[in-house]
Amino acid sequence: MSIRTHRRSVITGIGVVAPNGVGAGAFWRQTQEGVSVLDLVSREGCENLPLRVAGEVRDFDPVAFIEERYLVQTDRFTHYAMAAADLALDDARLGRADYEDTPFSVGVVTAAGSGGGEFGQRELQRLWGQGSRYVGPYQSIAWFYAASTGQISIRGGFKGPCAVVASDEAGGLDALMHAARTIRRGTDAVVVGAAEAPLAPYSVVCQLGYEDLSVCGEPTRAYRPFTSDACGFVPAEGGAMLVVEEETAALDRGVRIRAELAGHAATFTGASRWEQSREGLAHAIEGALAEAGCAPEEVDVVFADALGVPSADRAEALAIADALGAHGRRVPVTAPKTGIGRAYCGAPVLDTSAAVLAMEHGLIPPTPNVFEVCHDLDVVTGRARPAELRTALVLSRGLMGSNAALVLRHPTDSPL
Amino acid sequence: MTDQLTYEELAVLMKNGAGLTVDPLAMESRPGSAFDEYGLDSLGLLGIVAVLENRFGRPLPAEADRCKTPGEFLDLVNNTLVTGA
Repeated sequence: MSIRTHRRSVITGIGVVAPNGVGAGAFWRQTQEGVSVLDLVSREGCENLPLRVAGEVRDFDPVAFIEERYLVQTDRFTHYAMAAADLALDDARLGRADYEDTPFSVGVVTAAGSGGGEFGQRELQRLWGQGSRYVGPYQSIAWFYAASTGQISIRGGFKGPCAVVASDEAGGLDALMHAARTIRRGTDAVVVGAAEAPLAPYSVVCQLGYEDLSVCGEPTRAYRPFTSDACGFVPAEGGAMLVVEEETAALDRGVRIRAELAGHAATFTGASRWEQSREGLAHAIEGALAEAGCAPEEVDVVFADALGVPSADRAEALAIADALGAHGRRVPVTAPKTGIGRAYCGAPVLDTSAAVLAMEHGLIPPTPNVFEVCHDLDVVTGRARPAELRTALVLSRGLMGSNAALVLRHPTDSPL
Repeated sequence: MTDQLTYEELAVLMKNGAGLTVDPLAMESRPGSAFDEYGLDSLGLLGIVAVLENRFGRPLPAEADRCKTPGEFLDLVNNTLVTGA
């Protein structure tokens, strides 16, 4: 059944907290210019770990965004999510006056991969350093991967359906479709997305067990998917929150519709079984296109998962070909995340934000640090490529085996 | 260190533990005002109780973290310190 027979979900606001910029404008300027901000890890306690390169959010002052009472009881990942939510709400011009009489009409959905590692590490150090009486009570809520949904809901006064999607990195896309389903069932707006903060020492140590993690020490070489130099992925922090609204509710408010969430599908093929992810990802693409009522030839750009592991890159290239046929070799493919790293669940939401901005600007951002592609894909490298973009396909896979695809439509191309 | 908890000290504890800026004179002039009014939630009060127990080296009564107002909380803490002294 097509999504079009239901209440349609549209993006009206974008809020970004990324290694290359805070705010959608700053993020897009750096992204379209292909700037890479990958750098040596500088976070305290992480300097001498085997992970050398990451995408750190460095130009972010939480005090500028968030009241102290919320800061003391939340981890960095929730600080990013709360700030990104504020930016998205501002962008959508959705203020408290719009919903204070109807607080149940707005919900919150986030995805999270690792929760509040930095906060949790600090409290655990107090536990073994001083004893259980010195562990603060906010530890009970701050580390939890549901914290961002809860705090955004409490802080904003959003009393509609709230949820947390825990489905691996691809959960960032699954959260968007969860929001669309929530809207289909009657909610007017959902604040949705994901932000992560996996660069505390404890969190980094947890990631060292991933064989797909790049431990290359050169920022320009550490993350080169689709090339023969591919040596794993570089992790990042940050993410994005979006305001997704029911289309007529958005039109009634007189705000600009940025894109339609037209179709989504998700599959599961098992942890680190990259060869099998080919079939799973292809199936997800086909499902998302079917839901959107979109032919393969209509896809104007693909935002790739681009893991940077040779077998995973091969599987993704083949999945695109399997699902899009001959069009898969012609359609422009990009992976701007090579300039900022992979922010786990935040990564596909950042890609979704970039895809919306790309459609608005008629410009496909390039794939930083990637030059000689060794797969049968038209990867956009070097500089941004002008193109008329009406339909974008965003792909995501998680290390634990989740695959997801999302189809976005430019609003002028969405039949009412 | 005094063995009586004051409104000034409570305000400092609320700032450090729960990120709340509260005027101690406002609490003192209205000891029956609710912690809710100042933004202090139950976890925040729990944290303040733990800090005081660590400071005084002794447990406070179980009802300490269920107090609803600054006045009620100060009375309970200070009575405990006096009777236990």
